Amino acid sequence: MRRVISTLIVLVLALVMTTSLMATGGSEMAEGEITLDFPTFWVGQDSKSGPIASLLETFNAMHEGEIRVLIEPNPSTDGYRDKLNTQLASGRAPDLFVFAPDPTTFQYYETDILMDFTDDLAGSWGDVFSGGQIAGATRNGRTKSVPYEVSIIPIWYNSDLFDQAGIDSFPVDLAEFQVAATALKDAGIVPTSQMTGGSNAWTSMLWFSHAAASLGGPGVWDLPLSDPIFTQAAEVLRSMYLDGNTTRDAVGGDAGVSGGHYMAGDTAMFINGPWYIGRIRGDAPEVHAATMLASIPQVGEYSGHQLGGPLSNLGAANTTSAARRDAVVTWMQFMTEPANVRMMSESSGALFGIKYELGADADPLQQEFVRVASEASFLVDHFASAYTVDVVAEFGQALAEMALGEFTPQEFIQALIDKDNE
Amino acid sequence: MQAVAAQRLTFAGGTARVGKWIVLIFFFIFTFLPLIWLLISSFKTNLELQTNAFGLPAIWQFQNYVNAVQISSLPRLFLNSVIVSVCSTFLTLAVTSMAAFVFAREKFPLQQPLLNLILAGVLVPIIGLMAPYFRLVNSLGLYDSLVALILTYTGINLPISTFLMHGFMKTIPAELEEAAEIDGASFVQRFTKVVFPLSRVGLVTAGTFVFLFSWNEFIYALLLTSRTASRTLQLGIRFFVSQFFTDYTSMFAAIVLTIIPSIAVYVFLHEKIIKGLTSGALKG
Repeated sequence: MRRVISTLIVLVLALVMTTSLMATGGSEMAEGEITLDFPTFWVGQDSKSGPIASLLETFNAMHEGEIRVLIEPNPSTDGYRDKLNTQLASGRAPDLFVFAPDPTTFQYYETDILMDFTDDLAGSWGDVFSGGQIAGATRNGRTKSVPYEVSIIPIWYNSDLFDQAGIDSFPVDLAEFQVAATALKDAGIVPTSQMTGGSNAWTSMLWFSHAAASLGGPGVWDLPLSDPIFTQAAEVLRSMYLDGNTTRDAVGGDAGVSGGHYMAGDTAMFINGPWYIGRIRGDAPEVHAATMLASIPQVGEYSGHQLGGPLSNLGAANTTSAARRDAVVTWMQFMTEPANVRMMSESSGALFGIKYELGADADPLQQEFVRVASEASFLVDHFASAYTVDVVAEFGQALAEMALGEFTPQEFIQALIDKDNE
Repeated sequence: MQAVAAQRLTFAGGTARVGKWIVLIFFFIFTFLPLIWLLISSFKTNLELQTNAFGLPAIWQFQNYVNAVQISSLPRLFLNSVIVSVCSTFLTLAVTSMAAFVFAREKFPLQQPLLNLILAGVLVPIIGLMAPYFRLVNSLGLYDSLVALILTYTGINLPISTFLMHGFMKTIPAELEEAAEIDGASFVQRFTKVVFPLSRVGLVTAGTFVFLFSWNEFIYALLLTSRTASRTLQLGIRFFVSQFFTDYTSMFAAIVLTIIPSIAVYVFLHEKIIKGLTSGALKG
């Protein structure tokens, strides 16, 4: 037995040494070739993994012997952000990376570890970006990340189910919404998909954000949570959980529950971004074909708005090498070329802050997204983008209490205020 | 009278047997139902899983298993997980058994403060050590290697493992070592011939803890590696979780595939494992 154990230990150690050497050996490089590592979560099952791999292959072929970009696959978006924040905090930014345009990551603009693209974007390259995109990626006059993916998050509704309930058009205000909800319930259809689970109660958080924006306008997140409009928005959200307006498993349910009910044709209304198009097209083609987009029925003074904003920018490590800097800028320009962005957009369903037009054969639902984005009276971020992770996590907890009748809308908002004050 | 007593005893015995079976069946269901659910779910589509979580699949989706192997490079990651978990367990036990022996059986200046200092590591959340470990591993040139993970997991587990081993070694009677000393045993021999063999239960406890930690750990595996050649199973399983979509059924298939070898090893070797653990238990 001892001999067996000893042999096993020796074998394992030998394997470790061999494997470690293989892992750190790197890949063969041509002399003078600049290699750029690109850790990204656009891999695996992500809808952008295929187009990114395709763009990478084209780029590497175009610059063979000069520049090579290597993807470092990082599963899990949250894990990627933890890793990236650790790398940035350690002063070792990756050559290229996906920059989350949130308050935490923007703090690194104050350091010199990020490459500054301000001068590059001031030239003709800057013209490819949609209006306001560069300004959104600029802090104190410096643009240290390149605008890329954007989000538009409208209300989705199943027009077949609306027809079935005898509803001609999407409700424009709360009174019409109540009538439509009653008609849907009479036809045996649950009006909305909701959820209190997940890290941010995503679907319900978006309903709340839409309602708050209708009450507070473009500057809604500049208002303190104690402003009465948030209690009113909470009241709207609470009504979604009452009288059979959502499914019974919404309390505690996660994104799989809310999306699953919509795709199964159980619910008539849902909220999500364009990244969900590929999923619904594959899993529920009939619902995909029947889906239309709208803005939330008017709750307050404002109407016709959409939730949206920057979702992912592209960042790079600062360098003193002019050749490496040129290589990085070449890659960034390639990634933001309208033709490449269009291919990426049409393949993945994602939308980008770059001027491009979808082809006529692009997914009709994706074209709907472009339409609602262009028709929006204004764009505003959602609640989860405006508050810290702790407050966002509290949102789902407090919402479950409100849905179960334990909290009033005032108490729901107070729970968020308390968490924000901690 | 005797017949009545015998009848009562038989009834009591029967009730006890029924009670025993009820408890056993309850725990059997409690243990196996989630595994059976996992297995069945791994053959569903994601829509079926979300809309009919406890039903059977309409069409059994063997493609999920193809996805599991193709997308996540499971065989390679499984081997890496075995190597990392086994090596970090052996290394941790080797270091902490020696450390615990000295702290438990010897007397030297600053013994208690030093022990407290090591054990205080239990209270430090590992997420707080990410930046120091990242810098250290980079400085040593070990980034993106299995050795980085083995050393990191060993370092993280030193406090808890020392705590467990120290507590166990304190319970071994000092007379055994004194007898060995009279027979001429050296300091090293007291450890290797007396205390270490008698610490088998403590070693298994600490070893199990370290192994499970190393097997399930995700965030350091992601932080300290970049290529499939040096990554572990937990990262492979997460390849089915993307920013806005989780392919649960393929992920379940991947989990089933990773469980099978462990079950197979246990089924074929459990007698030997138990025999190995219990042999020598009566020594001394």
